[in-house]
Amino acid sequence: MKLEMFHLMPYRELPEDFAEKYRSVWVDIPSHLFDPERAHEMYNDTLDELELGATVGYDGVCVNEHHGNGYGMMPSPNIMAASVARRVRDAAIIVLGNSIALYNPPVRVAEEFAMLDVISGGRLVAGFPVGSSQDVNFAYGMNPATFRDRYYEAEKLIVEAWTNPDVFAFDGKYNQIRYVNIWPRPIQQPHPPIWIPGGGSIETWGWCLEKSYLYAYLSYSGFKRGKLVMDGFWKKADELGVERNPYHAGFLQLVAVGESESEVEERFGPHGEYFYNKMLHVYSGFQDAPGYRTLDTLKMGLLGQTTRFGDRPPFLTWKDLCANGNIVAGTPKQVTEQLHEVIKDLHIGHLMVLNQFGSIPHDLAMDNITLMGEKVLPKLKHIWDGQWEDKWWIEPLATRRQVSPLRPARARADALAPAGAR
Amino acid sequence: MRKQQVAVRGGAFDVEVWDSGEGDPIFYLHGEGRPSWTAFHDALAAKHHLIAPLHPGYGGSTGSDQLQDLPDLVYYYLDFLDQLGLRDLPLVGHGLGGMFAAELAAVQPERFTALVLVAPFGLWIQDDPVQDFFAVPPAELATLLYHDLDSPPARVAAEVPTEGDALIEYHVERAKSMATAAKYLWPIPNRGLAKRAHRIAAPTLIVWGASDKIASPAYAEAFRERIKGAQVEIVEGAGHLPHEEQPERLAELTLSFLASTGR
Repeated sequence: MKLEMFHLMPYRELPEDFAEKYRSVWVDIPSHLFDPERAHEMYNDTLDELELGATVGYDGVCVNEHHGNGYGMMPSPNIMAASVARRVRDAAIIVLGNSIALYNPPVRVAEEFAMLDVISGGRLVAGFPVGSSQDVNFAYGMNPATFRDRYYEAEKLIVEAWTNPDVFAFDGKYNQIRYVNIWPRPIQQPHPPIWIPGGGSIETWGWCLEKSYLYAYLSYSGFKRGKLVMDGFWKKADELGVERNPYHAGFLQLVAVGESESEVEERFGPHGEYFYNKMLHVYSGFQDAPGYRTLDTLKMGLLGQTTRFGDRPPFLTWKDLCANGNIVAGTPKQVTEQLHEVIKDLHIGHLMVLNQFGSIPHDLAMDNITLMGEKVLPKLKHIWDGQWEDKWWIEPLATRRQVSPLRPARARADALAPAGAR
Repeated sequence: MRKQQVAVRGGAFDVEVWDSGEGDPIFYLHGEGRPSWTAFHDALAAKHHLIAPLHPGYGGSTGSDQLQDLPDLVYYYLDFLDQLGLRDLPLVGHGLGGMFAAELAAVQPERFTALVLVAPFGLWIQDDPVQDFFAVPPAELATLLYHDLDSPPARVAAEVPTEGDALIEYHVERAKSMATAAKYLWPIPNRGLAKRAHRIAAPTLIVWGASDKIASPAYAEAFRERIKGAQVEIVEGAGHLPHEEQPERLAELTLSFLASTGR
């Protein structure tokens, strides 16, 4: 079993009346609410939290891409990944991912991911999301009618850029390049593991299964609704004759852990409510650009077989969130038991955990991560041992550079000087 | 009104074509919403043979996946017109169809005897942007489309099914048509018509609803400035859909304009 820590990098200080006063946390969130000096603290807190996660027992850390978004402030997750890659030696650097069809040309993604793979010594997981409609269609203006087609073309171009040893020409519908020839090239061969973060589009299931890419269902709807999606994925696997290897799939879950249930509710409650009621306040007109979802996915949603797009629940209390499975919370023992059940029930080999969510302050996030690492992760790691092989994992170099601590200028000068002169 | 399927480009497109009436033909291109046949169309068909295909992606017209962008669409319509032997005829278009009509009249100016554009897209005024109607939830869209929310067409449009097969049919049809419209209008309904509009040679009438909240009547002026000799008519008591709210008035304007051009 692989356990990975996911971070969204939210803005923790939206005003109390945000949801009443403004229509959306995404796309047209007002710029005057953003304080760059406060964000300086938040970005550095996030990097600290990712580094802690990577050293307390998580197998990897995950960062992702959003645009014009108050709950996800990593327009370029690669910048965060580069920073973490230098500071952490063993954990996988999971970028979930780059919305590959946004980049012109998508070769840029092949290059930056190759850089991250080389810097980290072969620890990169390359995530290729289609991207949320809010990001790709509304904030970046890409045409929803042709976007999926553009996405599939970008995937083809990037994989060929990584694997074709020759300089080649690419004559696509959306990209024409006379000389594709990336430099550097990735350490992991033929290329870093490719994970596909999905939001429930059913055609993504078949595509991941046929391409042997990992399917990561990323939503905040929790394990109860997540089960519907994962059941659909495994059913599709059966149809296609692909074995039910749990490592083929991943799932995102919010987790809060503490000494007692009441303590957890007291410390995390307001922050969980902040996340669900304030940060997920997205204008319904931005949910789904026409053509973004295929007709099949739309029909499935309308039939209630997956999730209903654009549904906005009323105010959710901490108790609602725990009861609905949006958040798994409790003592280490309770959390371990629940996560064990989620892993088995959804049949997943990768669990991505959000330990910081909403307005959780830095200290509390660090406590949450530490407790997870000490008391919960060790009890879950053994699941699937001896039963399944993870074919979607990193293959790092055996010998990797570790970051050397910074030395004073004088010491560096001495080190550089010829031995006889010292 | 008759509905029939026509195979275009050797069957690559299976096109649903509506037509009615007898006499000199008029070619009509519908707008971005669900295609409708109103008293406006009947009035035109009373004097002409009105031919109104549904764009690929709408209703029973297939082949939208073969059209990547506006040039593909324009060449598709040239094939359609060639196949039906349609030339020397007036061209009428609304909204998205008005944009297509203007493009066709610019690329083959000699083909059309007159051009009537009803609230067409295709231009962009930075200080008076076209409403981003793609980001307006269906239930609210009626408030932007109509002059009078209590008018029968506005009431019908505001009825969004909430359950059963009707709900699925409604959303699937809406997703299909709006995705098709997005191909030509997203994210800004400007594909460079301003660079080509000067080529339009047919006598042109531009009609705009006085209460159009999707694209304001300022756009009528913008079109007039770019099309030689174009006339503008503003229709009171109509929003973006004059053929629904003021069908008789729109028919009267259209027919008298066509008569004035000698057709």
